[in-house]
Amino acid sequence: MSTPTANSPMTNTAVGPSPRLSADKVTEELRVSRFAPFRNTVITILNLTIFFTIWELIARAELVNPLFFPKITDTFAAIWNGFADGVIGPELQHSVTNLMIGLLISAAIGIPVGLFMGASRTADLILSPYVWAMTSLPRVALIPLLIIILGFGNEMLLTIIVLSAVFPIMVNCMAGVKTVDPSLLRAGQVFGAGRLQMYTKVILPFTLPFVVSGINQGIARGLVGMLIGELLGGGGKGLGFLLDRAGDRFDSPMLYGVLILLAVMSVGLIQSMRWLEGRVAPWREQRG
Amino acid sequence: MGRPGTESHGTTRGDAARTGASSPVVIEARGVTAGYENRRAKTRLIALREVSLDIRRGEFLAIVGPSGCGKSTFINMIAGFLKPLQGEVLVDGEPVRGTGADRAMVFQDYALLPWRTVERNVRFAMENRGSRPSKAEQDERIAEALGLVGLTGFEKSYPHELSGGMRQRVGIARALVTKPAILLMDEPFGAVDAMTREAMQAEFERIIAQTQQTVVFITHSIDEAVMLGDRVAVISNRPGRIKELVEVDLPRPRLDSDVKSSPRFAELREHIWSLLQDEALGAKAAG
Repeated sequence: MSTPTANSPMTNTAVGPSPRLSADKVTEELRVSRFAPFRNTVITILNLTIFFTIWELIARAELVNPLFFPKITDTFAAIWNGFADGVIGPELQHSVTNLMIGLLISAAIGIPVGLFMGASRTADLILSPYVWAMTSLPRVALIPLLIIILGFGNEMLLTIIVLSAVFPIMVNCMAGVKTVDPSLLRAGQVFGAGRLQMYTKVILPFTLPFVVSGINQGIARGLVGMLIGELLGGGGKGLGFLLDRAGDRFDSPMLYGVLILLAVMSVGLIQSMRWLEGRVAPWREQRG
Repeated sequence: MGRPGTESHGTTRGDAARTGASSPVVIEARGVTAGYENRRAKTRLIALREVSLDIRRGEFLAIVGPSGCGKSTFINMIAGFLKPLQGEVLVDGEPVRGTGADRAMVFQDYALLPWRTVERNVRFAMENRGSRPSKAEQDERIAEALGLVGLTGFEKSYPHELSGGMRQRVGIARALVTKPAILLMDEPFGAVDAMTREAMQAEFERIIAQTQQTVVFITHSIDEAVMLGDRVAVISNRPGRIKELVEVDLPRPRLDSDVKSSPRFAELREHIWSLLQDEALGAKAAG
């Protein structure tokens, strides 16, 4: 509407709509600044710049022991040189490959078992004590045992990643199946869905967002599993190993550099899963 | 559901005679007792006790009663979700064994698949059973059903993009699309606002006048029961029994006329109200 005055609401139609508005249009275009989409990005960039500048200033003033708190420029230099000298690249690749394989295995086991546990009361009853025990057991505690069984190789690393990631995936899938809206099941029955159709058309689509958030949690847990495996497993590879070695050498710029890489990596993974979550279940955000 | 009043109304549903003894009985409850088990408390809650009722072809039966009186239990037995503990529920002379293509249901909470568009939600009713219509016929029927409920143009919308009233129109279109002989409605307009509700009642009356389906309609609202029903079954407190079957002898179409202000409407309303009031008082005295 074109700015009606408060004391004469009846003159609305007489004044008439603004020229860009046709009378029976329901949606009208809003004038939005061309820069609006980049607003958040700009704020984030500014925010980080300020953060790193303050960091640099504090480090340069040597308010804290430089060993504990290196200059951010040194840290970025360490990352840059690490990649240039081929120190970081292979280790990063090693870690990411292991994490991805571990997550794939976790999804391949966790999703079907979780769905089965959700669907069958008996399966749930039999399996849940183990699942819950494994979900709550701190993963670090398993390392000595895994080293005895599997040694220091990649098998041990993959196993710890899978053991970390598989249970959140499983538990989420189970929860998805169990929380299917009962009236959707009834609608399925009324409109003739058989057992198979009930699963493919009602239960699985309903569970999909749960699967995605399970994988999301699996990523976070798997990353922890990966690091403790690399740090404590003594395999001499991966980002965990880089951290360990940088610590031994009192190479704090490299230490901070690897931490930044890890943060970027996990934020990237989790954000992409969030994006996927929104894609597979757009109705969940707007639920009233 | 289109614009009420612009289309001609069916004439056959215009008088009470169509529910007379001439029409065959479609749904028959014989001494039905039903309830739910509570395994933890090792008890069984009796929701309905010895209910007997005949519903004739083309009849619109409205059911009113206090909360928890077993209205939903009754409709769930007709739908085939639940078996009676005693007695029988017959549809077309056969005891109900599970759900069937002859009965469709409209749910209070719509029960739409949120990941499907309006069109695909309606299609859901046609794609599961063995005798599946061809794709072209499905498309045609979907268009017809959506036209009937006034949702043409919203085919590609998702339920979460629609208002409550529009969602329920999808629910109604889904139930109508297979042209089932029996339409079971469990407080279908209970969750929509009062204005939308009245509009939807009028449109629904018009639709049913066209389709001539048998309708079992649960409601909390006495007005709604009297406006829509050929008969109103008043159910008592738990365990529910049929307290009285009230014949509604008001001319149709009712929603688009002044029936609501007629003395007969007020009389029927008053009568059902007093029946239910006894129940409310009885519940207070008992509880």
